[in-house]
Amino acid sequence: MHPQRRFGVMAIGAAAAAALALAGCSAPGGSSETASDSASTSDQITAPVTADQVAGLGDTTLSVWADQGEQDFMEALIPAYEAKYPNVTVDIQYKSFNDLMATVLNAMNSSDAPDVTQGNQGWATDGALVSAGLLRPLDDVAAAYDYESAAGDSITQLQWSSDGAQFGTGSIYGMSPDNQMVGIFYNKTKLAALGLDVPRTLADLDAALKAAKAAGETPLVLGNSDKASAMQALSLIQGALTPAADTRAWITGAEGATFDVPSNGEAIDHLAGWVADGLVSPGYDGTSPDDAAAAFAGGEGVFFIGGNWYAGTIADGSQFGFTAGLKDGDYASSGSFGLPWHVSAKSDATIAALAFVGMVNSADTASTLASVNRVPIHAVDAGQPGSIFPDLLTASAEQLDNGGPLYWYDWATDTMFDTFTSGLQSVLAGQSSSSELLKQIQDDWTTFHTK
Amino acid sequence: MRTVNPHRPGRRRYDWGAYLYLVPAFAFYLVFLLRPVLESVWISLFEWNGITASTWVGTQNLVDVLTSTEIWRAVGHSLVFIVFYAVIPTVLALVFIGVISRFRVRGLAFFRAALFVPYILSTVVVAIAWRWIFAEGGPLNAVLRGVGLGGFARAWLGDFDTALPSVGVIGTWVMFGLAFVLFVSGLQSIPGDLFEAARIDGAGPVREFFAVTLPGLRGEIQVALVLMITAALRNFDIVWNTTSGGPGTSTTVPSYYIYREAFVTHHVGRASAIAVMLTVIIFVAVGLTMRLTRDPEAGDR
Repeated sequence: MHPQRRFGVMAIGAAAAAALALAGCSAPGGSSETASDSASTSDQITAPVTADQVAGLGDTTLSVWADQGEQDFMEALIPAYEAKYPNVTVDIQYKSFNDLMATVLNAMNSSDAPDVTQGNQGWATDGALVSAGLLRPLDDVAAAYDYESAAGDSITQLQWSSDGAQFGTGSIYGMSPDNQMVGIFYNKTKLAALGLDVPRTLADLDAALKAAKAAGETPLVLGNSDKASAMQALSLIQGALTPAADTRAWITGAEGATFDVPSNGEAIDHLAGWVADGLVSPGYDGTSPDDAAAAFAGGEGVFFIGGNWYAGTIADGSQFGFTAGLKDGDYASSGSFGLPWHVSAKSDATIAALAFVGMVNSADTASTLASVNRVPIHAVDAGQPGSIFPDLLTASAEQLDNGGPLYWYDWATDTMFDTFTSGLQSVLAGQSSSSELLKQIQDDWTTFHTK
Repeated sequence: MRTVNPHRPGRRRYDWGAYLYLVPAFAFYLVFLLRPVLESVWISLFEWNGITASTWVGTQNLVDVLTSTEIWRAVGHSLVFIVFYAVIPTVLALVFIGVISRFRVRGLAFFRAALFVPYILSTVVVAIAWRWIFAEGGPLNAVLRGVGLGGFARAWLGDFDTALPSVGVIGTWVMFGLAFVLFVSGLQSIPGDLFEAARIDGAGPVREFFAVTLPGLRGEIQVALVLMITAALRNFDIVWNTTSGGPGTSTTVPSYYIYREAFVTHHVGRASAIAVMLTVIIFVAVGLTMRLTRDPEAGDR
């Protein structure tokens, strides 16, 4: 062997050995167990936090991470918070949703974790945070701020067993002040021209879509390049055909639950039928939901099924209306509260953090939330006339008082988003059948829960 | 085998001190490149959510990945992307080079700069622009309808049959400029008298291209192919920002699954296993490219 070559081999060998030594060859993550409860129990509250309680901390900076969608709300809330608790300065960082989800686990696990952060319901984020012992349970805060009663049955989306192994039961680990639900946006002018009422049953909706098509309109405007929007549209039909409680039990992982039932197959086939009959805007898989909403707001089509957050785009209440799901299913459709606010188990300003999360979720703040066009779960006076916002409040109340939200199918397992959405795209494009999709979905669920 | 230099008396003495100059760069390489790579290999042997204690699973992650049909389908898509990201831009750029080596092109510097712009644009910008071009109501369909080919109009990125080649076309557009700029500079370094000699010998444009231009560009072609094939295999940004792997799984790539497993579903071990697999595939592809484009007269390098 050429001496230079031999040296090269030796160098690589030595480098690999050195790098392995640097890597430390220990199991990643170690075996650290976080003992969190001892510190937090001393801070239990029984009534809304007072300024005196927080004053004991002295000058304090409260570090907060939030989704950038919260910015309007936070800019109204933080000054009020700092006025009420003058010794606290809020240092807030906004992140895009994807960025927040990608970094929140590591941030909360780090030594300088934010005191307050937003997470996301479901196993991948909240479940992981709870199982790692990084969150302080908020049962006392939910009680003290009358949050639990406002949330009603939907509180289960925020509950976890203390080891994070069970979803939908146990302590409350997060609180979120607004209701985000899927419903039907309709074009009032076109509906009137077609001589139709606002559809409240699946049969009504079918008839309205067909009438729109016959009149040469685009019946349903859909943009599904994010893959999630078709799943949200499906929830309206699935909610009408399958009891909401069954779906929620399946999503939160109740033992023996299954999605593979005939009514769900019917729901998928029903949506696929809309596509096959040309009732859905063409090219929907290549259109972004934002573009679809903008097109609808610009006068295209008769219906748009989507989340109430599109009211920012479809805002003109004189031309557009919004209604909750279908009466057949007690107005159930995909929906949940917004991204939950959590308090770090490691916070050294716990009482200030509790005051912050409490204030965000209090009845007094509901009007602030409504002023930035978000739907509070606490009762609030209807917004200004001429906007679509009063419809949103009505729809939210209708859903919460009846069947309740279905939550989101992709909460069911950490891989369900891809399984469900990619599979649904295939079925809608006629590439596979609803029975195959139901089997894939249930296999994913079974694999996850037997692990 | 190379014959031993007859002037060298047996084993050469090494001046080991010279290697000290390499230490700073090597330390950097060790800490920021080699160590993370090996750490990925190490993490791939565990089941780990990124926070809590991990569980040793040995080669289970790698076995799972290697037997997963969805991962292999993604690798298949990457191979299709190699055609769009590397083969087509190279062939197109060579055709252009063949033409400009024959004719004098006015404003070559301008064209070179203009064609290179796609490569230096942020890929997010590129993806958003092309999303618009390919949209149902976008300019591509408008042109098709305008010339009476409305039957072909569709949401190009939302159709199971056209999404993959459509994303590929974006890659061709981006990479063409890179290949072209590299080849133009290579062309300028080919001695002019070679072209002159070929023309005096009566070579036509085709003969001249294969006898002078192509061999003269061997080094540039090699560099371009390695860069473009690597880009095709680790493609993530364009896919993520146009189709997110959809519709269905028709445009998934391995990097998509690495991102998803690492940052969305928090299966860090599995993400590392896919990353290890992708690294090996890239090494093999680059090795093959280097070998196939090697100068046959240069011998063992």
